[in-house]
This record gives sequence, C-alpha cells and structure tokens, in this order.
Amino acid sequence: MKLRFSSVKQEQQVWAMIFLFAPLLLLGIFVFFPIVFAFVVSFYDWNLLIPDKPFVGLANYSELFKDEVFIISIKNTIIYTIGVVPTQTFAALFLAFIMNQKIKGRTFFRIAFYIPAITSSVVTSIIFVWIYSKPGLLNYLLAGIGIDAQIDWLTNPNTVLPSIMMLNIWTTSGFFMVSFLAGLQSIPQSLYEAAKIDGANSWQQFWNITVPMVRPITFFVMVMSLIGCFQVFDQIFIMSSGGPDNASTTMSFFVYQNSFKYFKFGFGAASAVVLACIIFASTYLQKKYFPSEAY
Amino acid sequence: MRFTSWQSSPTEEKVIRSILKGFDTKHPETPYLYQPIPGNYSEKIQLMLGTGTAPDLFWLKGYTSPSYLSFNVLKELDDYIASDASFDNEDFFPVFRNAFFKDGKCYGIAKDFNVYVLFYNSEMFEEAGLEEPPADWEELYTYSKQLTKDTDGDGKVDQYGLVIEPVHEMLMPFVFQNGGQFHDEAGNLGLTKPAFIEATEFYLKLYKDGVATIPTDVGAGWNGDVMGRQQAAMAISGAWAIPYFKENYPEMKYKVAVLPKGKQAATLAFSTAFVIAKEAPYPDDAWKLLSYMAGKEGMAEWTQSGIALPTRKSVAEENKFYEHPIYGTFMESVEFAHLYQIKFMERWSDEMSATMQAFFYRDAPVKESLQKLEEKISKYKLK
Amino acid sequence: MDKLKIIAFYSVLLAFTALYLGPFLFSISISFNADKDVFEWPIEFFPSNATVDNYIAVWEELPFSTWLFNSVFITLIQTVTNIFFSALAGFAFARLSFKGKNFIFNLLLSSLMIPGIILLVPKFIVLNEFGLINSYAGIILPGLVGITNIFLMKQFFETIPKDLDEAALIDGCSYFKMFWKIFLPISKPALAAVAIYTFQGSWNEFLWPVIVTVSEDMYTLPLGMASLRSELLTDWPLLMAGTILISLPTLAIFIYFQKYFVQGVASSGLKG
Repeated sequence: MKLRFSSVKQEQQVWAMIFLFAPLLLLGIFVFFPIVFAFVVSFYDWNLLIPDKPFVGLANYSELFKDEVFIISIKNTIIYTIGVVPTQTFAALFLAFIMNQKIKGRTFFRIAFYIPAITSSVVTSIIFVWIYSKPGLLNYLLAGIGIDAQIDWLTNPNTVLPSIMMLNIWTTSGFFMVSFLAGLQSIPQSLYEAAKIDGANSWQQFWNITVPMVRPITFFVMVMSLIGCFQVFDQIFIMSSGGPDNASTTMSFFVYQNSFKYFKFGFGAASAVVLACIIFASTYLQKKYFPSEAY
Repeated sequence: MRFTSWQSSPTEEKVIRSILKGFDTKHPETPYLYQPIPGNYSEKIQLMLGTGTAPDLFWLKGYTSPSYLSFNVLKELDDYIASDASFDNEDFFPVFRNAFFKDGKCYGIAKDFNVYVLFYNSEMFEEAGLEEPPADWEELYTYSKQLTKDTDGDGKVDQYGLVIEPVHEMLMPFVFQNGGQFHDEAGNLGLTKPAFIEATEFYLKLYKDGVATIPTDVGAGWNGDVMGRQQAAMAISGAWAIPYFKENYPEMKYKVAVLPKGKQAATLAFSTAFVIAKEAPYPDDAWKLLSYMAGKEGMAEWTQSGIALPTRKSVAEENKFYEHPIYGTFMESVEFAHLYQIKFMERWSDEMSATMQAFFYRDAPVKESLQKLEEKISKYKLK
Repeated sequence: MDKLKIIAFYSVLLAFTALYLGPFLFSISISFNADKDVFEWPIEFFPSNATVDNYIAVWEELPFSTWLFNSVFITLIQTVTNIFFSALAGFAFARLSFKGKNFIFNLLLSSLMIPGIILLVPKFIVLNEFGLINSYAGIILPGLVGITNIFLMKQFFETIPKDLDEAALIDGCSYFKMFWKIFLPISKPALAAVAIYTFQGSWNEFLWPVIVTVSEDMYTLPLGMASLRSELLTDWPLLMAGTILISLPTLAIFIYFQKYFVQGVASSGLKG
C-alpha cells in the first residue's frame, strides 16, 4: 500500500486514525457510551418485560434510599472493603518481603502464593464452600486446637461476610505480592546494608525502609484493591447469594439482583451509579489523605 | 420450534427425552429443539422473554405464574383447547385445570403436581416403639423429640426426629393448617394474622428446641439428603424424594403419610405449567408438543417416573395412583392442598426468604419481623 | 542469620505455603475420592479407594466438552484481538502525534476508574438491541480490547529508542510496516504479558457470561461449574474434579510464563 502525504504530521494523523479506529470504536460502544447511557437509564422506569418505559426523573434514586436492602448492601460493602483492603495490602507486602529474602526455592514459593490469584473465582469459591460448611475443614481444624465452633460459616449471619472476606484476602494477596516484589527489587541494597550497620533488625528494616520505599506501590495496590472490593460479586453469587437475611448482600450483588433478576433496569442502573460515586469518592479521599508521593 | 424446561436431575432429563422420542414417532413432521436450563430458571426465562429469544414452549413454575400473567407475555390457550379434540381438558382435576387463569382465560396447562407429605423412616419408628406416623402438631413435636437421639454416645445428637428447611414453601402448609394464608383473593396479605404468626412460631419451635434439624447444620444439601444419611427420622418433602432415595439410598426403609394436621388438614401443592410464549414463532407446533406431553400418553409416562403426580383423573386412575402405598398418600393430599401462587412481584420471594433466614439464623422476633415483611411486600403487589 | 532464625523463617514460610496451597491439595484429594461422603473426619488425604471415576464422570455426565469448547473459543479470540488492538492503539499513543491525542488518552485514563458494574445494564441493552444476547458475539464483543492492555503496550513502546523509527522512515517504511515489521517482533515480552493477562481474565470471567448467556450450551466452564454447585451440592468429588480441570490451563500457562507475569505486574503497577 502506498499513500502520499503532504507532511509527516498529516501522515501520522491518518495512520493514527487507522490504528485507533477499531479499538476506539469498540471502547466507544462498550465503555464510553454505556457510561453515559447508565445515567440516562437510571431516570426511567425501564423494565425488560414492559414495553412502556416512562421517564421518572429522580424517583429511582429516592426509592433506592428508602430501600432497606440497599442500605444494608452499602453497609456490607463498606465493612467488606474496610476489612479487606488493609489486611490484603499488608499481607501482600509481608509476603513480598519474605520472598525478597535470600531463600531457597523462591520460584516455588512465588508460584504457591500466586496460585489462588490466577485461579477462577468459581473454583476458589466452591472449594471454600466445602471448607466453611459445618462438617468442613475449618471446623475440623478449629476442633483440633480445642475450639468446638460448630458453625456453618456461610449460613450464619455473623460469620458469612468475614468468611468471604477471608477468602478474598487469600485469593488476591498473592497478586499484589507480585506488585510489591517488583518495587522491593528496585530498593537499593545499600539502604539495607546501612541499616544493618546501624544495628537494625529485620523487623526494623521492614518497617523503616521497605514500607516507606514502596509507598507509591502501596497506593496503587490499595486503589486497585478498593475498586475490586467495592465490586465484589462472584464469591457472593456462588457462596451465599447475598444471604442469610441479606447479611452478605453487597452493592454489586444488589445491582445484579435488581437488574437481572427483577429486571428493573432503571432502578438497577441507579444503584450502579450510586456505587460508582462511592468508589470515586473513596479513591479521591485516598489520594488526598494518602498521597503516593509523600516520601 | 424450541422447547425449554429446567433440569433438576439426570433422571428427569432422561424421562423428558424418552417422552420426546414418543412424540417424534407420532409426529415426525414436527421438528423442534429441546434446550434445558440447569440453574436460575425463572430469571433466564424472563431474560429470554425480554430479549425476544424465548422458546416457543416452556415450563412455568406455579408460584411465579401470576407475575408472568401480569406481564402479558404468554399466549392464551382457549382456542387451542377447544379445537384439539384429543386433548380432553375436562379430564384435569378442577383445582389444576383452573390454576393458570387470568381474567377468565387460560394461559397454562398444569403438566403435573406435587404436594408436601411426611416421609418417615419406618425402622427408626419401630426402634422407638412408634407405630403410626404423627397425626397432628402435638404428635409431630413429641414424636420428633422421641426420635432425636445420640446414637453413638459421644454427647452429640446424630439422629434428629425431623428435618425441615428454612424456606417459606415449607412453612406454608403449617400456616394453611392453622387457618392462615399468604394473601386472600383480593390480595390482602395475611402475614400478621395470629394464624400465620402461631404457625411460624410452631415451625421454629421444632428447630429451636432441637427436635428438628436443617440440612446445612449437618452439611447436607436438602431434606432428602439428611434423611437418606440416617440423620433424621422424618422429612417433609414432595415426590421428588422418591427417585432420589431409590437411586442413592436403596436400603432405607421408609413410608409416607399425609402431613400432620393442625386445626385442619392442609398441605401445599406445587404445579408446573406448560405455557406458550406470546411471541412464539411456531405456536401451532408448540401446542402439538404440549398436547402430547400433557396428554394422557405423555403424562402417564412422565408420572410413572415417580417425580411428580398426574393432574389428569384418567391417568391417575388407569395407573393405579390411588391404590399405590406411597402415591396414594399424595392423591389423598390433593383434597386439602392449597396452590401456591402469589400475586406479587418476584421480589416478595426474596424478601420472604430473607425473613425465614433471619428466623433460623438470627433468632429474629417472629411478630415484628412478619409485620416488617408485610409492609415491605405490600409495595410489590401486582396490578 | 543464625540457625534458629533460619528455622523460624522457613517455618513461617512453610506455614504460609500450606495456607495458600492447602485448599487446592484438599480439593485434589477429594477429586480422587471414590467415597462421596467427604465429611468423614479425619479425612483420608490420600484416599485408600482412589479413583479417576470422578474425572470420567465430569466428561461423560456433564456437558463439560461443550463448555470447554466455549471457554477455549472465547478466550482465544479475546486474547488474539487484545494483543493486536492494544498493540495498535499503544503504538499510536506512543509513537504518533495526532489531534486530540491528549484528550483521548485522558479519556481512556479516566474511564479506567469507572467501575465495571455501572456498564452492565447499558451493555446489556445495547447487545439486546443487536439481538446478541445468548450468542458468542454477545459474550466476546465487549472484551475484544482492554484499556489496561493499551497502557501496557504504550508504556512498552515508549521505552524503545526513537532512532529506530527514524531509521525505518528513512528506509521508506510506512507506519504500519514499521509497526508490524519492527515494533511487534521486539515487543514479545509486553505482548506476552498482554496475552497472559487477557487469557487469564477471560478464562476466569464470570459476571458478564452470567448476565449475557441463557442456555446451557452457551455457558463457559466457570459458569457451568457454578450452575452445578446447586445441582450437585452433595457430589463433592465430582465438583472438585471439575474445578481442578478448569484450573489446569491457567496454572500451566502461569508456571510456564511466570517471568512475563511478573514483568507485566511490575510495569503496569509502577506507573499507571
């Protein structure tokens, strides 16, 4: 193919259009347009099965905040996020710190910690349904150390959410470990050596050198983890269906149920918009009070 | 033409395929595609109706039928019934013949029915010196207590008298027995009436007093599973437990009885309908298949599998359902069975389930919770 | 480090390893168990009546092969298109100057912050308008290109010295030829990272197929297994055998390509 161009600039312009055409078209249809459209739908009483879709203004939003299940779902989602994000981040950093030591069989351990992260959520959920069931592994192990729990972890309203939170920490800490590992390897070894000369032990090295040096990564990890937690769905869908008594209904599960079980698209879209706003607000707050460039 | 059903067991699918084979030999001129849906059936069907991808013919769960009728997505069947001489609509038991009506028009044919009965392990009964199944609530409670024991002496109960499930369907027979109901003809909810509250309290007492268990407490999937594993002497279930026991626990000796009565005898009837989508591209062919599967031949074969019972009088009589030691009990229960069709938008069911879970797992106060539930559900009344 | 410290260190390490691998080991053990009651404690970790029947049953009694085909088909298409499209777009952003570049790039950047959940209903309505619910196109189309992948490629291309384009341009290469003949061949690590991420993401994807598929013959493996969760609630050995089979491809790919995984995380993680 030979094309003639009057200038390099024009040539680049044309090629950029060709290069970007397909990707941007797809993103336009499946990302940009839907973002706008979600707001539009949220102002309508839009039911899949009813052809008539009247404009209702803010009615979906006002109904939403009167909906007890929605309020519970916000509460559950916040508990979930607050419980998971810091624990997960810390666990990931800790694992990375261990992995960054001179150890034998590092590749093996790295794979071991990473496997939960690359495994399908369906698989890990099914395995943990077995572990958490009343006659399951967890109660057996607890009995082994003298705790006769006799709890069905997933049907007990007090334990269902923490149980799923633990699963989430377990699956994704290995993923974030790799993020940290990359950062740890870029910390100059001389810093540690200097600390050693000053007599710092491993824990002090971890706390005084590692933690501050990986602060930008910590920020990234926390933002990613937060966005993920706010949208937790698969595990809820498979393990508890939001029950018992909505004790594990999260916002994304609420969005799903209203949109694709009751087919109230307008109402579902409105709840998704609220969720998006909460996510935006919290990442903004995180940026403000936990700047990544502090050190 | 496409036909869709759910699929709750491999046995069920086998029988359906065999009936379809019968249809093929009789009507080789009518091609169709059978597409079963394994999970989340109601959601998927609604999704298909809403996206114009619905099958021509499909099963409809009885208790969700009012909302489908209100959405106006089903085809009216009266003309087909009238013009199909071989169909014989009068053969159906009246309670099922009129089960899927709206504004005096028929939209669904009850393909079969099921009722809750009491399954009991006759060996455990013998061992406890009990001869007859419990006849009323009081006996249900005392028998359950008598049958609850620690068989291996480790201080933990490993045989419960009864297994129940924390679901609203299973509570309803008790409500009906106590003279209560979910809602009346006009759609006024009855959840806060004393009859409803008392029945709920009794149902919970069985569990709270430790004479009944629930499947998750023993790591089981459902009632039949618990009874099969010898962890409960009695279970409330429908006929679907019969093929399950036969396949998984063939050695277990059990009998069935009508549910113990309260103020009156009552049980819950489930009935599934064949319906044709309003926008079906091949409604005539769909009717042909419907007419065969819900006809005498198809229904006889379907109900012989033991999963469900016939809604046609002739099929019940010819196949000796009344005389059968087990199925006879189901036929007997029809007399006092209540259909479960709730005229509210589907969210009522999730709200009600949440409340049931709150009773079982949170010790929620009965009266207050039911009052709250009634308030919530009343918003979802179908117009 | 003295001996005691080393022992302590390795015990911590091994405890963590047990924590992370244990659930999988149990699931493997159960999948080979002929006994359907998997709650007999203490469970035999190496079942005395070991069998492969559960794996055979997965193939014979479940529509496993259909789901496998769907999963493979969908994953392959999405992986290939993601590699291609993200490389194209990444190249444009890294190497070409054009009007609106900053605007478009910032648009992409900010839409990364949009939670996917908000897109569900509108995406569904759009696909329904095209009649694509419960079709391969419906499952595949929204995942043909990912913004994160575009960033990854852009960042990689930016590390390539400018001299390379100039030399190519002097030789009379068109931009496409330059992209195809020069940039792609030296981008293998980045392309591999994109490929592996997309593969893993689309192999494990759950939410979107749940929404857009209706009939069993369109299910992917995770969806199929999840739908069996309620049906086969008590047949744990069969369920576990299925879950093990689903996990094998991602595991194999990860072990084989793990250095790309790490590079990918590192480069996407350091600067957004």
